[in-house]
Amino acid sequence: MNNISTTFTANDLLLMLQGAGVTFLLTIVSGIGGTVLGFLIGWGRSLRAPWLYYPLGAYIEIMRAVPLIIQFVLMNSFMAILGYAINPFLSGIISLTLYIAAYVAEVVRAGIDAVPHPMVRAARGLGLGYIQAFRLVVVPLGLKTVLPAWTGLMLGLMKDTSLIAVLGASPPELLRSSQIIITRIQEPLAVLTGAGAFYFIMCWLITLAVRRYEQRPLLQSLGR
Amino acid sequence: MIKIEEVRKSFGNLEVLKGIDLTVDKGEVVCLIGGSGSGKSTLLMCINALESIQSGRIEVDGIDVHAPSTDKNKLRRKLGIVFQQFNAFPHLTARENVALAPRHVLGLPKSETNQLAEHYLAHVGLGDKLDAYPTQLSGGQQQRLAIARALAMKPDYMLLDEVTSALDPELVGEVLDTLRLLAREGMTMIAVTHEIPFAREVADRVAFFHDGVIHEIGPARDLISSPQRTRTRDFLGKIL
Repeated sequence: MNNISTTFTANDLLLMLQGAGVTFLLTIVSGIGGTVLGFLIGWGRSLRAPWLYYPLGAYIEIMRAVPLIIQFVLMNSFMAILGYAINPFLSGIISLTLYIAAYVAEVVRAGIDAVPHPMVRAARGLGLGYIQAFRLVVVPLGLKTVLPAWTGLMLGLMKDTSLIAVLGASPPELLRSSQIIITRIQEPLAVLTGAGAFYFIMCWLITLAVRRYEQRPLLQSLGR
Repeated sequence: MIKIEEVRKSFGNLEVLKGIDLTVDKGEVVCLIGGSGSGKSTLLMCINALESIQSGRIEVDGIDVHAPSTDKNKLRRKLGIVFQQFNAFPHLTARENVALAPRHVLGLPKSETNQLAEHYLAHVGLGDKLDAYPTQLSGGQQQRLAIARALAMKPDYMLLDEVTSALDPELVGEVLDTLRLLAREGMTMIAVTHEIPFAREVADRVAFFHDGVIHEIGPARDLISSPQRTRTRDFLGKIL
């Protein structure tokens, strides 16, 4: 008989660390993908062209209304039906990206709408093209509105990555690693407290990074 | 020369310009006066294509402003515009505000745009505010910053849309002084204004707008001192 240790071992800590790494990776990849996609959707809606505005609006409503866990399962099955037997991990990243993009889109649109139209007209009046005015005036001004809300979305996204566990995705992310350990050592309270601490530290790092960015002179000047 | 012929413009069902004819020569200062909603500000926006027109024609130095083939961004380099709201870009210093368009529209190197900015800010009396952000400036200073920003593109014409209307009364004078300076330098200007004494002093001609048409136009002194038409007289009587 081989001994199955019923206490928390160094290997368990490694497993949790690896899980935290996977969670972080999932958040970064789908966070970047979702921000890029969400930016495009939000910008598209801000143009107010009916043929773009309503379809994108429908997308946003659907993604926000259907529970993420259902989206995970549907996406995974859908890919399989289409004949793309991709691994659950990748399908999870795609789901998370499409999901968070819907939220990012609304935040981006609010940011664009928050820039007073006369400000944009003044920029165009100086001879700046549409894209130049957008890049040099709308984006820096809208960022002030967008950043706090966007940070909240990213923290939510990090916690939502735990739902990927339903797909049995491998390697396991933080919550799943914790569950594996709990099954063996039967100490849910201690392990989950530890997992909670890991989530906290990662969220805190993201918040810290955004705060550093917010304190750049460019954004500071807007607060005065 | 700016040539406006039979220009009509509607917002939805509301026709705000009902056939405007006006020619402004190089070096001339023309003030547009009239009640709110009479179409004067809209006309300014149409001259630099910030608003489209329904019919008629606007030419700036022979360029048909509203022709589809006209490069509107390039056209706007000829036409500086300053608005009632100051619209200084709040995330940029005074220097950066002024340097922005020369840098990104004309593609001038940074050393040159900084020099331009310093020159024009000094010209409007803001030489000591180069690194100030707009929120650190008074309304009058912000409006002069907006004027410097337009001048830095070395426009041939200046369009001024009620540039003193949003200012506290004690700050109006400094902005009008800046405009007097431009007039003395021979800048061609079309100014929508409620400052009648200023119009009489600086303008070559004054046009009175009423209900989407130019109701009366003439040499500044004549039109303001002895208007020929009743509505002009009524308007001036109310405002003076």
